[in-house]
Amino acid sequence: MNLATPQALMLVGALIFGLGVIGFLARRNMIVMFLSTEIMFQGVLVNLVGMGLLHGNLQGQAMGLFVLVIAAVEAGLGLAIVVMMYRRRGTLDAESWRTMRG
Amino acid sequence: MTDTLVYLAYAVAAAGAAGVYLGLPRESKPDRRGLLVIMAAVSAGVFCLVMHRIMGDAANHVAFVVLSLFAIGGAARMITHPKPVYSAVYFIIVILSTAAMLVLAGAEFLGLVLVAVYAGAILVTYAFVIMLSQQSTMHSDHFRNALDYDRSSREPAWTVIAGFVLSATIAGMIVQRSWPSFDAARAAKTAEHNTLRLGELLMTDMAVSVELAAVLLLVAMVGAIAIARKRIPHDETFETRRPLGESGRTAPPY
Repeated sequence: MNLATPQALMLVGALIFGLGVIGFLARRNMIVMFLSTEIMFQGVLVNLVGMGLLHGNLQGQAMGLFVLVIAAVEAGLGLAIVVMMYRRRGTLDAESWRTMRG
Repeated sequence: MTDTLVYLAYAVAAAGAAGVYLGLPRESKPDRRGLLVIMAAVSAGVFCLVMHRIMGDAANHVAFVVLSLFAIGGAARMITHPKPVYSAVYFIIVILSTAAMLVLAGAEFLGLVLVAVYAGAILVTYAFVIMLSQQSTMHSDHFRNALDYDRSSREPAWTVIAGFVLSATIAGMIVQRSWPSFDAARAAKTAEHNTLRLGELLMTDMAVSVELAAVLLLVAMVGAIAIARKRIPHDETFETRRPLGESGRTAPPY
């Protein structure tokens, strides 16, 4: 019983990934930027499951599990760095780290 | 047939990009909520059309389309909301609807793990950091209540154009390309005993990758503790700069 097709999953994944890219580039709050990278991970994960569905095997889902691992690692390390940067400058504004002029 | 589908996919991306552009937080914006609603409605409608054409032979795709609308709408609201706490809540909506979509696609284990790991563990970490570092300004107005760097965006027009080009090319390619024919019967057979067979695959073909993932998690844990426990001196010489975006146009050295 399957209610999804691979192309539909891939399309949704592509759109979610694009939204994550926009969020990462446009927002200035570092926490929201990291949330946007998690959104991009979601897009990739949906895409991988779609690919696995297309080829009729479980490799895509196994790769999706590894994407989850990477996302967890990224969240832990990234948020540690965000906390460190917040302690340094007292703000979450990514623009506050723009030391080079231009 | 395929050509119209490509243009419809572009239309979804274009209308969605326009909606996101209108929705991105910005200082001193005129009230364009009506236009935003129109753009979102156009995007959602054309998206439903494209999904209907793509999924024509799937038995019952209404649930899937509704869930994907929730996922995409939640993602759009997440990146446009001026308050990080609300962004995290919209992120949970994205996670839950994506997990349900994966269950519909036959990946039950991955869907459940997604809810447990993302909505359970990662979101709690984010909530902790948000609560630790976000000061509230006691302002009566909802938008004014957000912090100043949450009320403006970096180059909203260019970022939206970049995102539009990216997602439009990928979406156009997905609907245009001739994929190998999708064997629904074989996919349904793969979905049987999903957890059992996924575990078998991980423990036989991908055993080394599992070990590597474990080592990676350990290293990341050690690294996060090492980074976060260091005592950081506060920069006294630091002064706040204007953003590069629209309001930064006047700042030197432009």
